[in-house]
This record gives sequence, C-alpha cells and structure tokens, in this order.
Amino acid sequence: MDLLLISVLPFLGALAVSLAARWTRTAQAIIAGGFTLAAVLLLVSKAPAVLGGQVIGSRLEWIPALGLNVEYFLDPLGLMFAGLILGIGLLIIIYATFYLSAADCSARFLAFLMLFMGAMLGIVISDNILLLLVFWEMTSLSSFLLIGFWRHLPEGRQGARMALAVTGGGGLALIAGMLVLGNIAGSYQLTEILIAREAIQTSPLYPVALVLILIGCFTKSAQFPFHFWLPQAMAAPTPVSAYLHSATMVKAGVFLLARLWPVLAGTDLWFYLVATTGLVTMLLGAAIALFKDDLKALLAYSTISHLGLLTMLFGFGTPMAAVVGVFHILNHATFKAALFMNAGIVDHEVGTRDARRLGGLVHLMPIAATLGTIAGLSMAGLPPFNGFLSKEMMLEEATHTVWGGLEWLVPVIATVAALLSAAYSFRYVAHVYFGPRRDDYPKAPHDPGIGLWGPPAVLVVLVVLIGLFPAATAGPLVQEVSGVVIGAEPPYFALKMWHGFTPALIMSIVAVLGGALLLWRHGSAERIWRALPLPVAKNMFDRFTALLVTTSRTITDAIDTGSLQRSLFVFFLVAIGLGIEGMSAGEYAAGARDTIPASSIDVIAWLALVGGTVAVMVSQQHRFLTLVYISVVGLVVSLGFIHLSAPDLALTQISVEVVTILLLLLALNLLPKRAWPTSSRTRRIRDAVLAVIGGGGVGWLSWAVMTRQPNDPISAFHWAQAKPGGGGTNVVNVTLVDFRGFDTFGEIIVLGIAALGIFALLETAARGASGRRLLAWKPDLIRSPERHPMMLVVGSRLILPMAIVVGLYLFLRGHNLPGGGFIAGLVFSIAMLIQYMASGFEWAEKRRRIERHALITLGILTAAATGLGSLVFGEPFLTSAFGYFHLPLIGEFELATALLFDIGVALTVIGAVMLALSQLSNVAQRAEKIEHVEHPMDIDPSRTTETNL
Amino acid sequence: MERVAEILITILIPVGGAFALIGSWGLVRLPSLMTRLHGPTKATTLGVGSILIASMLYFPVYEGRFSAHELLITLFLFITAPITANMIAKAHLHRQGSGIDPNPADEMPEGLPDPTNWATFRTNASRRSDAQHPDEN
Repeated sequence: MDLLLISVLPFLGALAVSLAARWTRTAQAIIAGGFTLAAVLLLVSKAPAVLGGQVIGSRLEWIPALGLNVEYFLDPLGLMFAGLILGIGLLIIIYATFYLSAADCSARFLAFLMLFMGAMLGIVISDNILLLLVFWEMTSLSSFLLIGFWRHLPEGRQGARMALAVTGGGGLALIAGMLVLGNIAGSYQLTEILIAREAIQTSPLYPVALVLILIGCFTKSAQFPFHFWLPQAMAAPTPVSAYLHSATMVKAGVFLLARLWPVLAGTDLWFYLVATTGLVTMLLGAAIALFKDDLKALLAYSTISHLGLLTMLFGFGTPMAAVVGVFHILNHATFKAALFMNAGIVDHEVGTRDARRLGGLVHLMPIAATLGTIAGLSMAGLPPFNGFLSKEMMLEEATHTVWGGLEWLVPVIATVAALLSAAYSFRYVAHVYFGPRRDDYPKAPHDPGIGLWGPPAVLVVLVVLIGLFPAATAGPLVQEVSGVVIGAEPPYFALKMWHGFTPALIMSIVAVLGGALLLWRHGSAERIWRALPLPVAKNMFDRFTALLVTTSRTITDAIDTGSLQRSLFVFFLVAIGLGIEGMSAGEYAAGARDTIPASSIDVIAWLALVGGTVAVMVSQQHRFLTLVYISVVGLVVSLGFIHLSAPDLALTQISVEVVTILLLLLALNLLPKRAWPTSSRTRRIRDAVLAVIGGGGVGWLSWAVMTRQPNDPISAFHWAQAKPGGGGTNVVNVTLVDFRGFDTFGEIIVLGIAALGIFALLETAARGASGRRLLAWKPDLIRSPERHPMMLVVGSRLILPMAIVVGLYLFLRGHNLPGGGFIAGLVFSIAMLIQYMASGFEWAEKRRRIERHALITLGILTAAATGLGSLVFGEPFLTSAFGYFHLPLIGEFELATALLFDIGVALTVIGAVMLALSQLSNVAQRAEKIEHVEHPMDIDPSRTTETNL
Repeated sequence: MERVAEILITILIPVGGAFALIGSWGLVRLPSLMTRLHGPTKATTLGVGSILIASMLYFPVYEGRFSAHELLITLFLFITAPITANMIAKAHLHRQGSGIDPNPADEMPEGLPDPTNWATFRTNASRRSDAQHPDEN
C-alpha cells in the first residue's frame, strides 16, 4: 500500500499545486516540495528492507480482463531510480522556484513537473509492463508540456513537438515490442517475464521484440540516430533540462535496458545492436559537444555521449559491464544535473550562456565557479571525483571487448570518446570561469542566492563523497542494484581510486592529456570541424515530417474534396450497400403482426407530413420557406409522438425543434436568401435515385420490423424494473438516467464536444479570409432600425419566469412523469434564447453570470461525480440510489441520485445551446456591424427625455 | 344545475367552432395582410375562448374536479397572440415602407400618415444619427 501512496503522491502534488495557482510562489514550492519530500521519506523508510533483499510489492486490479493492473514492486534497481527521481526532483523544485522569472506561471510549471515526476516514478516501480507503457507515454506527454513551457518561444514549441514526435513514436514501437515480449513470456507481469529468459531468447519472435523495444529505448535515451531531439529540447527552462534531460527522462531508456537485461542481453544480436549504437552515440555526442558554444547545447550533446556510454556498457552483455553501467548512472546523474543547474546560474546571472562571450567569471562568481569546476572535472574523468571511477572502469571493460573480431576497435573508440569528453569538460570549465575577465557581460555577474546554488551544491558534495569514499557510499547500493540487473550475484568488484598501472589508467591519462591538448588547439580544431560536410539532423527531421505531411495531405485530399454533397453521396451509397447486403442475408418480408387501424386524424397528419416534406423539396431554393416547412414536419412528428403515447419524445422533439429553428434563423440571416442549385442536372437525378432507394429501403425496413412481434424485447425488462429497480415510473427517464446512464453520460460529452466544435469552427470566422468576407458583407434586405420592439421585450420578460417554472416542473417530475433533465435543459435554453432574441444579444449577455464553457464542464462533472459517487458505496459506476422522505407541508416525496445526474444533463444542454447561440450571434454582429446598444428596447416611453428629442 | 351547464356547453362549443371557422375563412379570403390579421384574432379570442369556457364548465360538473389548464391557456394566449400580431404587422409595415414586394391590395404607401414617425422606420437612435449626418438621406 505504501508503494501505491508513493506513486500517487506526485500526482496529488500536481493537483494541489494547480489548485494553489493564486497563492504565492513560495507557498506553491512548499506544497510541491512537501509532497515530494513525503514520497522521499516513504521511500527511504523502505530502503533498508529493499537493500536487505526483500522485494516490496503492491497490487490493485484495474482492468484484469486486459491483464492491466496497478502492480508495483520495489527492488534495488527501482529504489535507485526512484531515489534519483524524487531526490533530484526535490532539488529541482527548490532551484526552479528561484530560477523562474516573475512573469512565468510557477503553478503551471510545478504542476507539470510533478506530473512528470509521477509518470517517471511509475516507470521505475511498475511491475506490469502495460502499466509501465502507460507511464512511459505519460512522460512523453508531460515532457512535451515542460519543454514547451515557454509557449511564446518558437524554439520551445518546435523542440517540444520534435521531442514528442520522436519519443512518442518510439513509445509506439515500445508498446508493440512489450506486447510481443509479454506474449512470449505468457504474462504481462515484469517479475514473471524476468525469469523467462530461456523462452524469450529461443523464441522466433525474440529479434522482433528486441528491435521494437530497442527503438523505444533509443528514442527515449537519445541514441544515434534518434539523438537530435535532445539538443532541440534545450529550449526548455534550465530546471527542466537539468531534471529531464540529464537525470531522469533520458535515463528511462537506459533503465529499461537495465531492467530487461536479464532476459534480453547476452545474445550476439543484443551486443551488436546495443553496444554499437552506444559506441557510435558516445563518440558522436562527444565530438559535437566539443564544438558547441551554447553551454546547454554542449551539456546536451555531452549527455547524449554519456547515455551512449551507458548503452554501450549494457550492450556488452557481461555482468561486470552492467555493474559499471549501474555505477555510472549514479555518477552521471549527480554531476550532470549539477552542471545543468550551473549553466542555468550562469545564464541567469550573466545573461548569456554563449561560451564565446564568457570567461573569467571565477572572481566574480566564486561559489558557482567552484561548483561548476568540480562537476566539470568529474565529467572530464579526473580524480578524485566520481566521474573518474566509472570512466576508469568503463575503459577497463572496453579493453576486454572484441567487436567483430577486432580487438582494438572498442578500446580505441572508447579512448577517443573519453578524450573528446575530457576536452569539452575542460572547455566548459576554462571558457566560462577562467581566462581573462571581460568587460562586456550582458549583466553584472555575481553569485546567486543560496536558492540557486544550494541544490547543485548538494549534488557536488555527492560527487566528491562518492569520488573519495566510493566503497563506503555507493558500494552497497551498486552491489544490490547490479545483482538485480544481472539477475544473479554480481562479480567481485572494488570501487576504489587506485587499481595499479592498468591499461585503463594509461588510456585515461592519454584521454586527459589529449583533451587538454585539444582544448589548447580548440580554434584550429573548430575550423576543421566546421569544414566537414556533416548532415544536420534537425533539417533531415524537418524534411521528413514535411514529406509525411504532404503525403497524408495528398491522400486526404484525394479522398475528401471538401464537398459535402460528395461525402453525403458516398455515405448514403455505403449505407444502402450495407442495407442491401443485410437484407439479402436475412428475412425482409413483412411480418404477420396485426396493424393498428388508421383514424381520419392519422391520415390528415400523415398527409401534412408528406405535404411538408414535398414542400421542403419544392421550395429548397428559398431558404426561409424551407425552414418553415421543416418546422411543419417537426411539428407533425411531435404530434405523432403524442398520438402514439410517447409524451417524453414529443416534449423533446418540440423543444429541440424550437431551439433548432431559432438557431437556424440566426444562421440563415447571413446567407443569401435564395440557394441557387450548384449541381448539374445529371448529378441531381443521380442523387434523387439514391434518395428514393435509401428512403424506400428505410421505409421498407421499418415496415418489416414493425409488423413483427418483438423477439424478447429488452423493453419488457425496463417496464418491469423501472419502479422497483430505478425508483421511477417514467420508464423513458429511468432508462436514460439509470439503465442506460452510461450511454447518456457519453451523449452529454458528445453534446459538449459538438458545442465546442461549433465554437471552434465559428471562432475562426472572424479571422483570415472568412473574416474579411464577413466585414465586406452587406445585408441583402433593408434592416429596420427598430430591432427590439417594446411589446416583444415586455412580453418576453413575462414569459421568462413562467418558462423557468415550466422547466423546473418538467425537471422535477421527470423521474415519474414525462419530463427530465434533457427536456428541462431545452426549456431553460428556450427561455433564455427568447430573452437574447427580444432584447438583443449584447444586453442579455451583460446579465449572464456563468461562463458557457464552464456550464458544459460543470454539467459533465456533475454527472461524472454522481456516477463516481456510487463507487464510494462499493457499487459499479452510475448505480443509482433512491429513497422516500417525508416533509411537513410537502408530504411524501422521493429523492434519487438520478436527479443529480439529470442536473448534469440539463446544465450541459443549456451550456451547449448557449454556446452555439453566442457564437452565431457574434458572427452576425460582426457581419452587420451593429452599434453598441445600452437599452433592451429601442423605444421606451419611460426614457422620456429621449422621446422628446 | 347539470341541465343548465349542459345547455351552456352545447351552445358554447358550436359558437367557438364557428368563430374558429370564420377566422380561418377570413385568413384565406381577405385581400391584404393587414386585413388578414383580423381573421386569426377572432379565432384565438372568441373561438378558443368559447371552447375554453365550455371546457371549464364541463370538468367540474361532469368529472367533479376543477381544472386550471384553461386559465393557463388563456394567459399564454393573451400574452403571445398580440405580440405575434404586432410583430407581423411591424414586419409588414417595414417591408411595405421599404418597398420590398409590396402587395397592391395593401395600398399602403398612400395609407401611411407619415412614415418618419413610425418606430418601424425611425428610432430615437437613428433619428439622432441622421441629425448628425444629414447628407446620408
């Protein structure tokens, strides 16, 4: 249960921080930090048991049918990563609070950061690979939000998009790979997969699973050739870079390599894929990093290089290399996060992070200089810092590795990469802090407050401590974690500074001296580098995405020309085809059920219906006339519902009819009064044939269905259970809010989306070409200056309270008599529509108190909360409860939770109608260039001074 | 008592029906829109009114319960019918005055006393803006 709590704490923190958006920044940081600290303490309390060999697990069923359950387990590997995520997360929260400028919304930033922290934590403690995938995608999404945090910067947006495309795309491959892996192992539970090594490596699907999983890991961990997104992601605020792009997210791929090491590693395929990729990435990243002037870009490429190093170590497939990998994960996280924060300090205090404009800061910023130098030298691999230890061990492993029969290849490349790495680390230190003092810094540099240098200082202390006393500080952890990664007792290793005169030491000395030499001749090296014809990965990516976009656009345009006639034609053609197919397979003759005799009133109504429909067709060129005939059809249909004993449907139909006609009138206002035919004659004949076949088919189908006895209809159950099960006698309403409550819930969401769709579509009407068209629009009829006549305004005022009472009445009785939330919502909407219509949009709008979008949200949330409420009582979602109560004066009455659900329905309906109305009115107002009016009536006798004018 | 009610109801229903028929007849037959507006007015007031009264007599006497529906119907009719007629007349005046599809039977342009004094054509606001920009007219 504690693990569940740990995993939920960051998400709760995100929620709490976003709720505290109006509070001070310090308060928000305390909230975020408090939640993180709580998670850290919980984790620490588990650490002794976990390091003692105990695996803590927790389990909660989510979707057992899919094998997707909330299963967590904490072993030493998970513990190390969780510690890094939470610990560095805590430091970053403190750092970010002081780093962000006053204009940045810190609540949003911290909420995103906590979301990311929760997702990342989920990856490392998931015991279920499906759950792991969910968290994996969540890290991609939350990092997208964090990278693009400065939305106003185009680089931020582009970087975020690229990161999402690459890591999200890799995530898709990972999903496929994990599913294959799970199927081979016969379980989605990680602990069970980890013991199925034999089955997995002998399976013919092993290469497929391996390649797909590796794509996921390599994209996330920025391995060549997917490395290009990481430098672009540096557009993020520096705390994000320090957290995501050095210590946590980019390590997710490496984590997965380590996690699946016992079952995937050890084959030739693994070695050549993983070790080679790592080797190439390590070399390439280090080389590019040396020639980057932007400090963050330098650090980004150096991160790529170090991730390549880790990948290579895990790719070697030997237990000892895995031990080194684990150790280096720890070391890299400490010095790299510290360096990123250090670069952030320089950027923050000096105003630039361009290495060419820096230098000589050691006297101006002694604290930052000390911290940056120590972390930088650790990255260079100099004793007595932790970077030296793991690099030394890495070189030692490299000398034992034979690549394709070539014994010298891996050691030589590793040495060259180490040399380059030393060179760029020296460059970071030398070109920022040492050298002559300059007099053209953008700002006057000075050391920042402890809020900024404190967090990296903590990490730098670790760098030194691990470097000086490796066996005492990191030894036990590395021992336990390596045991998990290897899946067996790790080989003997000694974390110490001095191993004697080994080949690794000589390689290390070569690397450091060579690095120093390279930095000395940096200028000429840079000229050679610039002359090299190197492809730019970002341009290639941009070209590739552009190609994808053009291709998909070509295909879309070929299928969908934008012509509604064409789409409808295809749609109906397919529907008719399916209908013919269905009818030819089954029975389609009329049934034997007795028909109801048609009274003369029925015949008249039927004639009116047919007449109305024919009139719509005949008058289709006159839009307003068509609307009148359409309303005739709607009216007859609602009368038909009353006649056939469906009062609920009739009420709904008539109110929908009113709302639609009113909104359509508003829309038609701007269209030409006549619609000239746009299709050719042959096409109209074709459409007519299609329409006759479709209509005839539906008619025949209805006839065939209605002349049969229903075969065990579900309505019998609804009839029987409405009162005892749902507590209402109105079967239609009980069905809507109870039996099929989930459907209704989905429908109000669809309604909300549709309203937002109207909003979005018409929102663009004011801009661009359509906006210009609107501005150029001239009314085709002369408008009366008296737009809001007194009688109409006064009458509508009288109607308002009555309509509200009717709506309330329909709403309250809905459960037992015709009515309900949907109808009531429509009646309320009509009551308000009338006000808007009579008194003018502007005047009525001023008296509106609630945001329309909020109304829709409120409605859906109310319905959802009602549904979720039943979970509290251990019942399934949307189980309704009802009871009978007695109050003096009022008497016996019933209260049902369905009523709350119905409130949600009504609110959503009102919000949707009002949103459509306001958007249409906005467009109309813009088009008609209506002046501002203050009064609801154009002529008002009570404003006597004006009438005397 | 029942007998009296019965007689009243038997009279009221045909009278209501007759007015409704006459109103509809007038709607079809009368030549211009303004005259045609009179038809439905008779149908809604006298025609529907008589039938509502008949209904109000019938239910207490024969069914033994008082019904308020008729009062509500009356109320709604009294609010909506005049507004509808007013709006139709206004729209008609506007179209006639602006010269949009005039019906010769209306003979309106001559019939109007002074178009500038009708709210449909002029409001205070538009009058004021005319005073500021007299050239536009």
